[in-house]
Amino acid sequence: MERSSMGLKLPEGMKDLMPTELALLEELEGKALKTCHNWSFQRVKTSGLEYRACVEPDANQDDYLYKFFDKNGHIIVLRPEFTTPIARMVATRLKGSQLPLRLCYSGDVYRNGSTRFSEFRQVGVELIGVGSDLPDAEVIALSVEIMKALEVRNFQISLGHNGIFSGLADEMNIDAKLRKELEDGIARKDMVKLEGLVSQSDLPEAAKEFLLSMPHLTGKEEVLDKLQNWNHIQAIRRAVESLRTIYQFLKDYGVQDYVSLDLGILRGFSYYTGAIFEGYLPGVGIPVVEGGRYDKLYEDFGYNSPATGFAINLSILLEQFSEYEVENPEVLVYGQSPGAVVKRCRELRKSGKRVEMALGFLTDTDAKKIASIRGIPIVEKVEV
Amino acid sequence: MSSKFLTIALPKGKLLIDSAELLTKAGLDCMFVLEDSRKLTFDLPGKEVKIIICRPTDIPTYVEYGAADIGFVGKDTLIEQNQDVAELVDLKFGYCRFVVAMPEDSQPPRLDNGEYDLSVLNHKRAATKFPRVAQLFFSERGMQVTPIKLHGNIEIAPQVGLAEMIVDIVSTGKTLKQNKLVEIAPILEATTRMIANRVSYRIKYEDIQGLAEKLRVLV
Repeated sequence: MERSSMGLKLPEGMKDLMPTELALLEELEGKALKTCHNWSFQRVKTSGLEYRACVEPDANQDDYLYKFFDKNGHIIVLRPEFTTPIARMVATRLKGSQLPLRLCYSGDVYRNGSTRFSEFRQVGVELIGVGSDLPDAEVIALSVEIMKALEVRNFQISLGHNGIFSGLADEMNIDAKLRKELEDGIARKDMVKLEGLVSQSDLPEAAKEFLLSMPHLTGKEEVLDKLQNWNHIQAIRRAVESLRTIYQFLKDYGVQDYVSLDLGILRGFSYYTGAIFEGYLPGVGIPVVEGGRYDKLYEDFGYNSPATGFAINLSILLEQFSEYEVENPEVLVYGQSPGAVVKRCRELRKSGKRVEMALGFLTDTDAKKIASIRGIPIVEKVEV
Repeated sequence: MSSKFLTIALPKGKLLIDSAELLTKAGLDCMFVLEDSRKLTFDLPGKEVKIIICRPTDIPTYVEYGAADIGFVGKDTLIEQNQDVAELVDLKFGYCRFVVAMPEDSQPPRLDNGEYDLSVLNHKRAATKFPRVAQLFFSERGMQVTPIKLHGNIEIAPQVGLAEMIVDIVSTGKTLKQNKLVEIAPILEATTRMIANRVSYRIKYEDIQGLAEKLRVLV
């Protein structure tokens, strides 16, 4: 059936990858996965479709999902990420495993209406079964090693902790509505909103100052000294101690130069509970690495286990590299007799050569021309 | 582009003079961008700063994608475009208000508290350049009003029966008066904001925060 004009288009946010682009993506993916394997993370694949109930229990927050109905009328979604599906998988299939579990993945995720890509390749890891702080340092160091393996220049990682804001909010008994608004203001770096909320609130002066300073607490370890006045709040003291310890481990891993502390990182309404981090590249407007500790997520699946991990957006990294060369065939084989040509191709392929077989008879001139267009160094004519 | 360069997007039109003056006071002398209205990109002599002049509605897009590190843009545009950028400073100039307005001769009845009874506007149409702002305002009140997106001269829409009301920004109220329209409900107030790309704000924190601090003191 002839296609209408709609049949020639792609849905919004989707794109095809040509051979050179895909070769580059797979090269990056291969390097990333190889690094994960060296760190003894084992690759898994979860299913492309999940029940909405697994991925996003809150039906008011599911606008970003591609949703369908299965034949029983249940809502199913294209996976928007791997962390939650892996939690489901571990809680159901790998429950009795020896901990810690180190799992890695690579695959496409789908987010409806997202600014750059609605479909993109994520590679990431989950380290399950051990609480802070050594595993946090391990995954951060691994993310750095992957970025180095990918030969990405000038990237930097910012490390923060969810416990600082939540510790303050709990201590001050900030009501749920204001807490959500403040969290949103800090997370989105909406200083104007934050200032408005803080000045209108009846919080003590010191707490107001602290909230306003949070987005600006960035730098190396000495930033943590600025939180000394808040040591009496247990959650904050613990967060600070945890960040200090993680940073110390990062020095042992030799990656401290890539990591700064940034206490203004906060991801509102998400599953993160402890140390969180983001990786940035100059000129790329969104984080290329996102990760952190999520000790409550597994509990939601009835399997109480701490966990930490990260995901790298490979599709956005792809744009940072110039076009990649695909490997050309090494020999072009042609001749009068198809049977003889096929036979010669089989021999050459058996010996490990990449072989292109001419379909139909070519003159010597045509064969040379095709070989030069495709960059094939050797032309072989099969005489009968 | 060199990652050390700071790119600042300023809005073409009436906010440009205020923006350039403010940046100049903050030590980035850029009054010369006002001289040549056809030129759209300028390098600041002796500084690693580039200024680009964009349509106001495009500024959040330039900044979100990181094509510009910083932008000056009205809160009205920010709300309408709903893009993911860091909002750093309220620059206080370019004040305007969003309002719902209707023709003088078809005002809704008043409630006991003196406000207009907006419920009679259900199932009516609102002409606007800001359909998202209009939609948010009405739907938050449980009202069903259809926004009609126009690109200009929306004041004439009620006169010709395209819509019963308009949602627009007013600064002095003169345009409303000329078109025999009255304000029946305020929506929100807006001023110009300094925005930054979220990643630039982390990577070039010192430069951007330094500028933000200076501007905060000046306004």
